[in-house]
Amino acid sequence: MLLQLWKQFRDSRVGRSVFRVGVPASNLERAQAAVSSFLLHFQPAKVNRRTLQFSATLGLGLISLYLFIILTVTGVLLMFYYVPSTNQAYQDMKDLEFVVTAGLVLRNMHRWAAHLMVISVLLHLCRVFYTAAYKAPREFNWLVGVCLLLLTLGLSFTGYLLPWDQLAFWAITVGTSIAAYAPVVGEKLKFLLLGGNVVGQSALLRFYVLHVVVLPLAALFLMAVHLWRVRKDGGLAQPGEAEPAQTVVGLAELPQNKTYGLMELARGTTPAVGVQPEEEVFTWPNLVFREMLLFLGVTALVLVLAIFWNAPLEELANPVHPPNPAKAPWYFLGLQELVAHSAFWGGVVVPALIVVALVMLPYLDRKRVGIGVWFARERKLAVTIFTVCLVAATVLTLVGSAFRGPNWALQVPWKPLAIEER
Amino acid sequence: MDSSLRKLLPWFTVMGLLVGALIVAAFYKDQFREWKIWQRVHIKQELARAVSDAQREAALRIPVEIRQIVLPDLRRVDRCITCHLTVEDPSYAGFKQPLAYHPDHAQHPIEKFGCTICHQGQGRATTREAAHGHVEHWEQPMLAMQYIESACAKCHLPSDVPNAPKLARGRVLFDDLGCIGCHKLQGVGGVIGPELDGVGARHGAEWLGKHFRNPAAITSGSAMPPIKVGEQDIEALTLYMLSFTGERLSDYYVSMKTIPGADAGRRLFTEKGCMACHSLAGVGGKIGPALDEVAKRRDTKWIIEHFRNPQAVNPGSIMPRFDLTEQEMRALTEFLLTKTDPNIVGFLRIPALMTPIQRGQAVFKKYGCAGCHGAGGMGGVPNPNAKTAQQVPSLKFVADSYTKDELKKRVLNGQREIPSLNPKGPPPPLYMPPWRGRIAEGELGDLVVYLMSLMPKEEKVTF
Repeated sequence: MLLQLWKQFRDSRVGRSVFRVGVPASNLERAQAAVSSFLLHFQPAKVNRRTLQFSATLGLGLISLYLFIILTVTGVLLMFYYVPSTNQAYQDMKDLEFVVTAGLVLRNMHRWAAHLMVISVLLHLCRVFYTAAYKAPREFNWLVGVCLLLLTLGLSFTGYLLPWDQLAFWAITVGTSIAAYAPVVGEKLKFLLLGGNVVGQSALLRFYVLHVVVLPLAALFLMAVHLWRVRKDGGLAQPGEAEPAQTVVGLAELPQNKTYGLMELARGTTPAVGVQPEEEVFTWPNLVFREMLLFLGVTALVLVLAIFWNAPLEELANPVHPPNPAKAPWYFLGLQELVAHSAFWGGVVVPALIVVALVMLPYLDRKRVGIGVWFARERKLAVTIFTVCLVAATVLTLVGSAFRGPNWALQVPWKPLAIEER
Repeated sequence: MDSSLRKLLPWFTVMGLLVGALIVAAFYKDQFREWKIWQRVHIKQELARAVSDAQREAALRIPVEIRQIVLPDLRRVDRCITCHLTVEDPSYAGFKQPLAYHPDHAQHPIEKFGCTICHQGQGRATTREAAHGHVEHWEQPMLAMQYIESACAKCHLPSDVPNAPKLARGRVLFDDLGCIGCHKLQGVGGVIGPELDGVGARHGAEWLGKHFRNPAAITSGSAMPPIKVGEQDIEALTLYMLSFTGERLSDYYVSMKTIPGADAGRRLFTEKGCMACHSLAGVGGKIGPALDEVAKRRDTKWIIEHFRNPQAVNPGSIMPRFDLTEQEMRALTEFLLTKTDPNIVGFLRIPALMTPIQRGQAVFKKYGCAGCHGAGGMGGVPNPNAKTAQQVPSLKFVADSYTKDELKKRVLNGQREIPSLNPKGPPPPLYMPPWRGRIAEGELGDLVVYLMSLMPKEEKVTF
């Protein structure tokens, strides 16, 4: 009965205009599905067989995207209950937990998905590095990716303040004071970010607006650019890829006495040129199905975390009673650990170096070796340097998060030091 | 379709079912709420009590829903009544919690006060553990009934609550022990110890009790001497400390403190010149009856009526009718019925009736000198590593070592450096703070007279 109705709707004028292509049966229809559907047109009609291998990318970019989608959906729902006011915000957290239907699980999903997204974006960066996928012609997309990493951190950091509990208040206080160490602009930047010298109502409002409007829109835009560039740069980086044409054909070099089709103005050859047809498979269903399966996997993971572990919520923010120790969000704890030794190195030099190194990387490391290959032998030096930095960052973050107790004294996580009562 | 994709297809079923199951689990977990159990128990109880079909239907119509008292003035939302459904239903008197009736709160209607302003706990919470506040990251767990009187002080003056004897006792102890000599409270007091505003929010009853018995054991390096009073008085002091929550309530609630109570009655008693005819503890006129035990003879109603029209309740009385407002009559009555201080003359604080020694004694108490120098200045308070026998010196023999002017100077200037017994050890924690600018000239004179009087007559040594 329902099927009958559905069929009738599909055959109607409206139905046909909405679902222009049915579930594709022939190769032609499979190609059409990819080309004519909005959601699928980010991908070409056919992709290289290697793209389907999980080990090629570990799906990290896609996982980040899925987490962003989960975050957007849960975030919008949470916005119905949240007022960014210092009098109200914490109470709203309590109401979410105690009276709002599914409020707690929504908040948990949002919290855990946010942490997961920071992790997956960082891992995505590592994957792209280790497979040398940032080399020409993908340098610009690497830059876009670095911006997206910073936006992800910004989104997480701004969201951290919103519950307005002790954890939020002091993490942001510590985090913004690290920012204040930057020379010349540091203090100004902190003032601009907080709308004052201390974390208060204006800081909460600013962080809220950044968190729900400015940063998500910026991230959405850059993600679109990021995905579009993946296509423009010929899909995934493949071993043995041809060197891209370096020059765009200038109009001046073309004879002016004829008209040109768009194809004639495009630079170089299309990514498909020189690829054997037997290495290509249709995006639908080969890639799309795998992508959907991954989405189910990510959703399941977030749900499991959200059902069994509650997002932290400490006491109401109290500006005169700092916890001991006050810690920044975990992804900044490596920096905080450095700041504990030297404010100049941890607050200025290292973060600046990290960003500059990431930005410069594709322009410095130009040798066309190891593209699309994990830990290529020919890139021993680059891989070693990156790995050392990565291990150092991980160790610092671990020490900062688990091995630091009251007064930033060393401790072991399973035997925390006691805080002396005042 | 690729063969490798075909192999993946079963995973769609598995993952699809898993996600579906997880969503169902999340909603089930969300829908299962403790409070629903108690609301059903309540409905069942109402059904059992119903005697007619109409009543049974009414019971079945009771909705299962969150109930709350929204108190914007107190910045609270109290959802306690979501489980404690029958706090206002006397027919549930003596019932098992959470369905028990709350007796004796007619003066504190629930819609104006809620629950947590007195009982503390987490009003917004709807699970037992979280609501009672026995969870991590909630600073105000429910107040044990033993200490419940401390909550009265949020709106009332400690001496003004007739049904809070422990609170009143705590207040008296606080004065007698001279706590104010070292600790500041609402901007008044010494500087040696930490301020006590908000101390009730910083520390729990257990901490406070242990701290009174042995401060250094709880706070290492604490200069505070152990408080040597009985168990009950420790409890009263703890309770009094717990009342300093640092909470600021709106005018509606704190205005109770400005409504005249026993304290205002005491002032009126001296201002209106009652003592011209009446006496307390033998001080005052003999024309009217002594008022020491008036509480045993008369009740509130009688006394107020007597103020309003003495001859109407006591024909032949020669007491004139005073022009008292309703509030003044109540305040005076409250004073007459609740005065407990045996040292009534000091308590009345009528300087003209007091000798300089008595006034000096009051000054000694006002500034909390007893906190360090012991009750009556008799010493015995430890001050580790002080040259003076590791104690704060007794004041018994000051008349021997000081002239009046020297003693005045000593009080005004204080002594920051206390000589150590063992020069290598830590300096003695207690010291004499300077009282210049804090003590009035007249007070100082009286204090010195009092201190000089401490010397036992027969032991006076003459050179």
